[in-house]
Amino acid sequence: MARLELDDLTKVFTDDDGGEVVAVEEVSIDIADGEFLVLVGPSGCGKSTTLRMIAGLETVSDGRIRLGDRVIDDKKPQDRDIAMVFQSYALYPHMTVRGNMSFGLEESTEMPDDEIRTLVDDTAGMLGIAELLERTPTELSGGQRQRVALGRAIVREPEVFLMDEPLSNLDAKLRSEMRTELQRLQEDLDTTTVYVTHDQTEAMTMGDRIAILNDGRLQQVATPLEAYHQPANRFVAGFIGEPSMNFFDVEVQGDQLVHAPAGDTSAGEFSYPISADTRESLQATSRATLGIRPEDIEIVGAAESGRDFDTTVDVVEPMGDENNLYLGFSADSERTFVATVGGMRRVEEGQPAVARVPESAIHLFDADTGEALQNRTLRDAAATEPEL
Amino acid sequence: MSTVDEAAEERFSINPARVGLYLTLGGLLVFFLAPIETGVVTSLKTPDAVGTTSPLVPSVEGFTLDNYATAVSELLPGMVNSLLYAVPATILSALFGSFAAYGLTLTDWRGQIGVLLLFVAGIFIPYQAVLVPLTRLFSVLGLSTLGIWGLLGIDNAYAGIVELIITHTAYGIPICAILFRSYYKGMSEEMLESARLDGATVRRAYRRIVFPLSTPMFAVVLIYQFTQIWNDLLFALVLVQAESSAAAPVTLILAGLGASQSGTIFGLRMAGAFVAALPTLAVYVLFGEEFAKGVAT
Amino acid sequence: MATFSEVRELLKRVARTDDGDTTSDSETATDAGSATGDEVATDGGTTRSDGSATTDEPRIDGSEVATDGGEVKTDGGVQQSDGGLRATLEDRVGEDFLESAPFWLPPVLLVGLFVYGAVLWNAVISLTDYEGFDDPDYFDLDFDMYVQALTSSQVIDAGVNTLVLMVGFTVVALVFGLLIAVVVDRNIRFENTFRTIYLLPMSLSFVVTAQFWLWMYDYDGVLNNSLGLLGLGPFEFIGNQQIVLASVVFALVWQFSGYTMVVYLAALRAIPTEHFEAARVDGASVVKMYWRVIVPQLKSATVSASVVLMVFSLKAFDFLFALVGGYRPPNGADILATKMVREAFQNQNWAYGSAIAILLFLMALSVIGPYLYYEYTNDNL
Repeated sequence: MARLELDDLTKVFTDDDGGEVVAVEEVSIDIADGEFLVLVGPSGCGKSTTLRMIAGLETVSDGRIRLGDRVIDDKKPQDRDIAMVFQSYALYPHMTVRGNMSFGLEESTEMPDDEIRTLVDDTAGMLGIAELLERTPTELSGGQRQRVALGRAIVREPEVFLMDEPLSNLDAKLRSEMRTELQRLQEDLDTTTVYVTHDQTEAMTMGDRIAILNDGRLQQVATPLEAYHQPANRFVAGFIGEPSMNFFDVEVQGDQLVHAPAGDTSAGEFSYPISADTRESLQATSRATLGIRPEDIEIVGAAESGRDFDTTVDVVEPMGDENNLYLGFSADSERTFVATVGGMRRVEEGQPAVARVPESAIHLFDADTGEALQNRTLRDAAATEPEL
Repeated sequence: MSTVDEAAEERFSINPARVGLYLTLGGLLVFFLAPIETGVVTSLKTPDAVGTTSPLVPSVEGFTLDNYATAVSELLPGMVNSLLYAVPATILSALFGSFAAYGLTLTDWRGQIGVLLLFVAGIFIPYQAVLVPLTRLFSVLGLSTLGIWGLLGIDNAYAGIVELIITHTAYGIPICAILFRSYYKGMSEEMLESARLDGATVRRAYRRIVFPLSTPMFAVVLIYQFTQIWNDLLFALVLVQAESSAAAPVTLILAGLGASQSGTIFGLRMAGAFVAALPTLAVYVLFGEEFAKGVAT
Repeated sequence: MATFSEVRELLKRVARTDDGDTTSDSETATDAGSATGDEVATDGGTTRSDGSATTDEPRIDGSEVATDGGEVKTDGGVQQSDGGLRATLEDRVGEDFLESAPFWLPPVLLVGLFVYGAVLWNAVISLTDYEGFDDPDYFDLDFDMYVQALTSSQVIDAGVNTLVLMVGFTVVALVFGLLIAVVVDRNIRFENTFRTIYLLPMSLSFVVTAQFWLWMYDYDGVLNNSLGLLGLGPFEFIGNQQIVLASVVFALVWQFSGYTMVVYLAALRAIPTEHFEAARVDGASVVKMYWRVIVPQLKSATVSASVVLMVFSLKAFDFLFALVGGYRPPNGADILATKMVREAFQNQNWAYGSAIAILLFLMALSVIGPYLYYEYTNDNL
């Protein structure tokens, strides 16, 4: 079984002056057999280092890696039954496509030449590059090279595929095409895959589950939708979703959440009433962060309750399918937050708008730890009624 | 790409600055070519003509090819000898340089920098500092006393050729290694990691990936090294010693060519200089790019 | 779980029959390879044989080599440690040490022996009294040779000449090369041709160069003839002790300024054009532009070129020997290099020659040492 377990993986680098950099800290993830797991996070979060540890291109400072039931973190890379697709494809420029794809089999197996040949032919056919087999990488386009890199990995028939941002060197259109194709391929091959990217769109659309890292620490491992609707902490909430979630620092005062940023009077103070349930989930916390996704803010005709706020539209971003409205609490306020409305709706800059923030849709995070105290309830979007 | 971004028109207009520029360039041309020009001219003159005509002007009456004839007959054996050690030493030092650079750059182990420092320093060490031990070593080894020379019917002075091969290989390795290192530093690390993941050992990775991709650098190194080794006098002098020796390299013979009691026969010397310089000049003209690259590193 | 080969079979079958019948073939999960009977290490880590602790303290590996240009650092990855000497060796010096040894070890041995070993041996010999046809007596060591050398007026003169040659040649070659580079850099036609001709002398042997300049410097030779046209008296370029060194420097500059030109040209072209444009916008004249903007940028090129030139000048032996066709350069042009070879190989004073050689070596070291340190601290290695 190709179940991949990462157990408290840690990686510490020492630089020349003896200082230590903790690149990865106690990351534990259990990846099921055949699962497509995406490691996502901002630059420098440790996702590539984690991937390289799985590959064996980095030694493990602490922790364990298990494939199936075997511990592999002390094995050489070539003995781990793992194939990797690099961001730069790392093809051998002086060999043909066939040569590139055969190399791994020639070096690490005793397979006879004709068997290798057949395997390479079949894989090339599956990837649609059969007619490129006799060409060299320099004669290929970016997309074609990417397929060759994929083919090189597939041909090895490994237990695990590792992919390090394989799509980031492609242009946008090619990227979305390849995204779909990669998914299809992975389903057909049913091989456990660990995929690294910094692009949260790729993460959301491709992964069975996503693992979000920041600063070397694992923030959350969940399905994309879970991460979206039930983020474990503020970082995940802000990282997933485009445009990203709006955050307000608030103080808990009785049954109100008060947003009163010091020294910025134009940013708009507001008071948000909360229900008893919400107050309970806040427990003893006095300071929290209120989060609300742009698409959960409704623009209504007039203010009806304490959860409706008068705002002025500062900037409108018409995206076609929707409009992103940057709203400020006063006409010249510097701080704005984002609300998303349907694309057919006509909204103009400078126009007043009443923003409704339904309580069922708010997220609350501890102001100090960032941990999620309450997430939105997963309800049918058509049935959002403000409740007290 | 030049540092000066001048308008295209300036290239064609009669601009006093440009005129001055080209005059300077021309002057430099004269400076660099003058010795060679006078060499050519003189090499085609009889000794009388040399004494009587201006050194810069060719002479019609005193025209002769005798100088070249003599030069060739005197120098040809020397050129063969030079070739005998220059070619193997060039190839060997280049190969070893590539190996060393590979082991020191594209693999990973502690202490690489220390070894590299020694290599870099090794490039700059004046050869005088090793001459005496070198001659001592070779006399102790007694290569010239081996029976093999008699067996093959070769003058045992050719042991000097073998010594020269060994010497030039060993002293050529540092510069070759450094040249290759700068090239290998630019190689894709991910490509080699991929090879490792694919199961290639350090040796196979060299044979199947690094070596084939080193071809451009080999061209540079071979050309540069050949020039350096062919042009060397010091080792030739020390290890072969007599220009009358059967194994005398061309530089050694040239040094004493054309010296007679009554002064120097310049015509012969000039002819000799050209004949001796021919191989490296040819290499330079044909492969100037590579030579310049080797020099600039 | 269907393995890859089974999917492949499936695809093949589908392709062949082409009736879209994707019957699920034998889904017997024959695994691709986990049943290989590999060792199963327990969590406690006690069966790991390489002695590295699995405590909380991070295990840091051999060399810390950051990859070039990327944010991802690497330390070379895992190699098999299966216990014993190999494992301890790998732990201590890094993984590829043994595997790559066949590549770097032979060259290192050769260089170590022939270069460093030889220098050491030379130092030892210089402490003996070795001369003539005897064998050196390694048990009678003293500094006699050094005393003799340092008190010999010939050696001192040679030393001074070496220094003068070194400094003079380096400075003139640098300045001249820079000027040529500046001129060549001006977006001229036929640039390649000019460059090729200027670099041409570098391809010649010192011996060949010596022949040409012997002729140029001849009493009835080119230089005297040309100077005569200007009304300047004929000079004994080689015979005159006072100017012979300058003549040698001049000839060597002729040979080497192509090299400095190449170096400076590369450096000039590496300067981004924005610097020039900014200076021009600021209204700087051409001369000022070069002085203020460019010359400071050339520092590193100057450093490395100087080192090469200085070390070459120490080797000017070939030129001087060829100039006279013998061990004794013209009066006033004797340098340590020629003195050494003369003493050792003409006069058979081996130990004495070795001592002089060591002095020469120390001179070279005083140039190389700081240079290496400079390069090392600037991470240029």
